[in-house]
Amino acid sequence: MKNIDSNSHVKGTSIYLDDIPVRAGTLYALAYDSSCAHARIKKVDYSTAENYPGVIKIITHKDIPGQNQIGGIFPDEPLLAENDIHFWGMPIALIIAESEYIARKAKKLIKIEVEELPVITDPREAREKGHLIFPPRTFQMGNMDSAWDQCEYILEGRADSNGQEHLYIETQGAYAFPMENGSIRISSSTQGPTAVQKTVARVLGIPMHKIEVDVTRLGGGFGGKEDQATAWAVMVALAAQILNRPVKYAVHRMDDMRMTGKRHPYSSDYKIGLSKDLKIQAYEVTFHQNAGAAADLSPAVMERTLYHATNTYFVPNVKATAYCCKTNLPPNTAFRGFGGPQGMFVIESAIQKAANHIGIKTRDIQAANLLKEKDEFPYGQIVKKCEATNAWYATLEKYNIKELEEEIDSFNKNNVNSKKGLAIMPICFGISFTNTPMNNARALVHIYQDGSVGISTGGVEMGQGLNTKMVQVAMHELSLSSDRIKIETTNTTRVANTSPSAASATADLNGKALEIACAKLRERLLECASNYLNIDLVELNLKDQVLYHNDTKTDLSWDQLVTIALADRVCLTENGHYATPLINFDKSIEKGHPFAYHVYGTAIIAVTLDCIRGRYEFDYVKLVHDFGLSMNYAVDIGQIEGGLVQGIGWMTMEELLYNDNGKLLSNALSTYKIPDIYSVPKIVDIESLNSEGHELAIRKSKAVGEPPLMYGIGAYFAIQNAIKAFNSNYKNSFDAPFTPEKVLMALYS
Amino acid sequence: MAKIDLSINGQSKTIDVDPQMPLLWAIRDFVGLTGTKFGCGIAQCGACTVYMDGKPSRSCVIPTVAAEGKEVTTIEGLSENNDHPVQLAWIAEQVPQCGYCQSGQIMSAAALLKDNPNPTDEEIDQAMSTVICRCGTYPRIKKAIKESLNL
Repeated sequence: MKNIDSNSHVKGTSIYLDDIPVRAGTLYALAYDSSCAHARIKKVDYSTAENYPGVIKIITHKDIPGQNQIGGIFPDEPLLAENDIHFWGMPIALIIAESEYIARKAKKLIKIEVEELPVITDPREAREKGHLIFPPRTFQMGNMDSAWDQCEYILEGRADSNGQEHLYIETQGAYAFPMENGSIRISSSTQGPTAVQKTVARVLGIPMHKIEVDVTRLGGGFGGKEDQATAWAVMVALAAQILNRPVKYAVHRMDDMRMTGKRHPYSSDYKIGLSKDLKIQAYEVTFHQNAGAAADLSPAVMERTLYHATNTYFVPNVKATAYCCKTNLPPNTAFRGFGGPQGMFVIESAIQKAANHIGIKTRDIQAANLLKEKDEFPYGQIVKKCEATNAWYATLEKYNIKELEEEIDSFNKNNVNSKKGLAIMPICFGISFTNTPMNNARALVHIYQDGSVGISTGGVEMGQGLNTKMVQVAMHELSLSSDRIKIETTNTTRVANTSPSAASATADLNGKALEIACAKLRERLLECASNYLNIDLVELNLKDQVLYHNDTKTDLSWDQLVTIALADRVCLTENGHYATPLINFDKSIEKGHPFAYHVYGTAIIAVTLDCIRGRYEFDYVKLVHDFGLSMNYAVDIGQIEGGLVQGIGWMTMEELLYNDNGKLLSNALSTYKIPDIYSVPKIVDIESLNSEGHELAIRKSKAVGEPPLMYGIGAYFAIQNAIKAFNSNYKNSFDAPFTPEKVLMALYS
Repeated sequence: MAKIDLSINGQSKTIDVDPQMPLLWAIRDFVGLTGTKFGCGIAQCGACTVYMDGKPSRSCVIPTVAAEGKEVTTIEGLSENNDHPVQLAWIAEQVPQCGYCQSGQIMSAAALLKDNPNPTDEEIDQAMSTVICRCGTYPRIKKAIKESLNL
């Protein structure tokens, strides 16, 4: 089925936050943020700004009626700075004016005196100085003490990966409307409507039932609007409460880039040990996660790094330790993959280093260690329905790896200043929120008097095709055509206490809840028919909007059944609640069964280097992916294409730069480059692994949002291999992104 | 502030604004056509692409006064019934994911095809390289541009 939003998207009539018609009397908010990364505030003078014509009010922490606190996991992040500044771009006050233009003028008139304090941007320095968000965690399996003795080869090293700006093309924003009796309605560009509702309630000092959060769709999220959409919504709600007028804030791009957190940079140390037959016997890794100035989602992101520390390999002896390091960067946050990619990059670096040391192909080590059925992950979950080996060999055989390698060798022999490199990237990604209690969702379904259906779920559409998949679920359960089904906005008054749309699990969780609600309604309509026709319920069925008696079509249509049910005073509204079964995790021993299932796949990626200039182009990515039984192949392939490009961007061109004072230098689209149409590999071949899917995936169609991003990690190693073809003295170092500048240095190192 | 006469999608409208205000704000906030989007504010992403006298232009950096006397076309005016070949191809190939950048993509693609009805891959890349899509719909953008030649 085609994406249900396609028509309005190509007409320009889809509504995003900034497109909501502006209500008369609307005011505009603008944050006044810090111009230093760490300081004590001595004095702020708002007097000139306050008197600027058109400025209605400047709101500071003193105006907050509830708690000045927006921290999601830990209460460590004020909405507006009180005495201390912890990162460059930290909001200090909120300017409310008749227009955004006026607010910007007024912002320049605010004067601040601060006492600057030492700035830390390096997570290792933060760890040395004891600046941790919370104590380190360690996942362990086997016996490290004896493991190293079994190793023929032991390699150690360091691997760094930089952060990544989300760069959703729709920036952050929110719009609040005061309602009667002190209630507030907020339109928000958020992946987490309940997080917004809960935090607004806390800051405004009013109960959650007075806050309604509504989301139509996002112009991209990628994790950047999971937790970090909240602050803007709280700001407009606070101003709306204080001034009793609608307040809007659509954040400017450069403000957004400066003030919001990003994918976490990691700096890691690894030690890997292999036996003579290339089995990884031991792997020890220490991750330094650059969390920024507050917890945000860092503890959860760090946890997923630990879960994915061994990627798709079985390693009998593992010790993985992670430090959540507090620095003076904006609080870093969720980004597609959620710490998983950072963990995988390190073990892939370790394997590459080992292969180069031993003088064999990297894929020889990768292939020798792939997960098998009944293996154990370091976190205690037993591998079931394993597709690691299937995906690996399907890829290598389908695309004929030997031929591809020969092509590359031959090219390299015949070219002096241009070299090619190839790498293989297998992935294994766990599906579920790692915080078990979050794995639940609800759906609300109404059948209206004319037989049309309205559906609300807790999921947010942000380009992942969720709404289309939800329509498909309802079509299937109710035997209706798509035009009879409407997906409503995501709204906290219709579906409450939602988990954010994240962790690739949105379609699974909300889809399963929707299945339950629809199945109940279907059953209820069949019961009505059974009474009406005096036929046993088990002999009745719905197909193509018509009632069937066994295999025979009856005269009763869906619409007639609805009419009969309403005449019988039957309830045609239903809720579905779904909680993922089986999953659990015990943090006290760091063992359990945290994931409903895993998604697998393997990609081959090849690059051509211009060895004079350090530039490169990706020739192809050829992959086999474990979709399960894809319920919408067009949507799912789109997720692979997009995730892959984002992953390649993270590994190659996207370079976040902060100066020593903690100021973001790559603060606009002119200085921070994301993949454009040229960056896409010339050929992207995607094949579906022949697998049976998983019963905990919606209609056995496995989650697809995050896993493909990690195929992009292969880009780093493909470039390395091409460099080695040019410069035999090149010593592997692992410091992503591999920008053309770094490539050039490596070519001549 | 000054009165500025605009002609957008064939309709005349006089607005009273700062003449230096970027055209994007005139189109969105004063004319009420919200299909054209703000992305970066510095003409780097292409989400705000409109035509001025048929030529693709970045409305986020063009002063409103510069549009006076010119015919401005936005995504809403590209076709009467949403049936421009590029729009049809975009639906057929399932290009949009989040959709936010797509009006800029479609306007840029339609402009390319007007000047060059049979572009090579390289010409497509060149014409589309300055329109950014964070969802990474580029492979389908390429496919849809080629597909639109048959529609």
